[in-house]
Amino acid sequence: MEFSASPVWFIALPLLAAFSAPLWTRWHLLDHLLFGVPLVLLILALGLFPTVHEAPLLETIVIAPPLGIHLHLDSASLLLVTLFCFAVTLVAAFLWLGATDSHLRGRRPFVLILLLLVGGNGLVLTGDLFNLYVFLEIAGVSAYVLSALRDDRPALEAGLKYLIIGSVAALFFLLAVVLVYLQTGQLNLAAVAREFAAIPPAMQGLIALLMLIGLGIKSELFPFNFWVPDVYRGSDPAVTALFSGLLVKAFLFVLVHLAVLIWADPAVARVWLMTLGALTLIVAELAALRQDDMRRMLAYSSLGQIGLIMLALGFFSETTTAGAFFHMINHTLVKLLLFLVAALLLRRCLSLRLEDLAGAARVSPLAAGLFVVGALGVLGLPPFGGFMSKLWMLQGFAEAQRIWPIALILFAALIEAGYYFRWIRVLYAPVAPAASADTKTTPEPWAAYAPLLLIAGLMLLLGVAPFLLETSVVEAAHALLDRDLTLQSVLGVAQ
Amino acid sequence: MLEFLDSPSVLHGLHTIGSLTLFAVGLYGLLGKRHLLKVFISLALMELAVYLLFIALATTPGETAPILSDGLTAFVGMADPVPQALTLTAIVIGMAVLALGVSLAIRYHRLSASADIRTLADAKD
Repeated sequence: MEFSASPVWFIALPLLAAFSAPLWTRWHLLDHLLFGVPLVLLILALGLFPTVHEAPLLETIVIAPPLGIHLHLDSASLLLVTLFCFAVTLVAAFLWLGATDSHLRGRRPFVLILLLLVGGNGLVLTGDLFNLYVFLEIAGVSAYVLSALRDDRPALEAGLKYLIIGSVAALFFLLAVVLVYLQTGQLNLAAVAREFAAIPPAMQGLIALLMLIGLGIKSELFPFNFWVPDVYRGSDPAVTALFSGLLVKAFLFVLVHLAVLIWADPAVARVWLMTLGALTLIVAELAALRQDDMRRMLAYSSLGQIGLIMLALGFFSETTTAGAFFHMINHTLVKLLLFLVAALLLRRCLSLRLEDLAGAARVSPLAAGLFVVGALGVLGLPPFGGFMSKLWMLQGFAEAQRIWPIALILFAALIEAGYYFRWIRVLYAPVAPAASADTKTTPEPWAAYAPLLLIAGLMLLLGVAPFLLETSVVEAAHALLDRDLTLQSVLGVAQ
Repeated sequence: MLEFLDSPSVLHGLHTIGSLTLFAVGLYGLLGKRHLLKVFISLALMELAVYLLFIALATTPGETAPILSDGLTAFVGMADPVPQALTLTAIVIGMAVLALGVSLAIRYHRLSASADIRTLADAKD
């Protein structure tokens, strides 16, 4: 059989590897494959950039769209798929080299993390509404079990809470899909986009509201994100790194993609999405100020950044969207770094509460140093990538003469500085480490830090040389916002 | 006397009212009940309401199964198969999520001797 570089591999390969897990357990290959599969996909994704640069890749399955189902790989989805594969590769490397907890090793996390990758890739690649629902459930179910993985009381509470709220979200989304099908008789995204304007306005509003509730819960936007800190608090930090770095980004993309495709006139969607983004940003940053647990603080900080990305994506201008894509990449890097550092600190100090972490920099100086790097990255200080992406978004708003988003973003950065420096001050407090800090255990092997140092290096590289990503990010923004191009590339093939 | 029930508009109206009632019952249970299993049953009810709405509104009385066989050689007067295929898929997914939820609830009950959603909501560090 001839090998062809088709987008279907991004879904098929991890699915295949996950389902043959018993085989890999017997051959003792779990760790190698959990690292190897996303790495292979990452290389494949990087290799596809020149092809997609010319024209979006369409993989039709059995029948051509709009009747059949298809995967749609354009610059925007390729960028996100690359990011997801990269994030999973790093977390897998971290688990392989550094994780000692039994629940993070073995078959269960192997299957679940690969399924999460399937879900994330599927969400951004699919061109069909019902497939979107199926991938939403695949990503959801693997995320529910991943949060409950530790199988103790806080983990199960997190898992149950996530499952209930996630099922409600999926239900609302399913209802929206059903209404779309009953009204248009189509499920293909491009075909729905073409016929959506013919639906009566009241029904249009209902469908949009249901989708906004469903995807708003999943992508952790303001009125629907009350559950997020509890889930992030109960799950393992290595797992939440994937939630914050992979899952939320996938849902944000889906939300904006649907908004662009379905509304020919972006004015209404812009008001809604920007308002939600701004509210998420400001509420989450203010709440983060008062948190005494590092996981909760990082959860609120992650929410704030998501609000920021939504604010910039929802403006639907090419400059802010390109900046938002760049910020998505930076935010994934930063949050991977911070959550993995939290995982190391948790193992070292047995607690992530503010008072227990006092003086932790003496016990694990490298972890504390990497926390500082991550904090500076979130704040968007030069020379890290976050500086360039925030600057890019601000520039986009400035070009459009919008002042309030600029003021809001700068104000949020000030609050961020407030709480991150509070944590840094505690880490470097000149007191003996708390009694609970287990100083007798052997220090982490250097290998455990290798993925973290790689992330820190990449953050620095993106800050110094943002032009490395400039073309792909601008193309991604163009592909996301150009509705006619998407419609033509999908339906043009069919006709 | 009851023939008027067979007219599509009346039938669809009845089905819509029925499934919306079911949805409301599920929503009430989801928001009002404390026991985890009752919450899961309410979720299942809401899902069922969506399936019912989909199937009921996508078919009209008198349609046959979309299979070409003896005497049936053209796709005329046949039900649209897509909603049924989608609903089957959604039922399977819903079933799997429900089973997962119940098994998590059982584990949680064993560890904490509680199946109350409020202890879940108040969970602190």
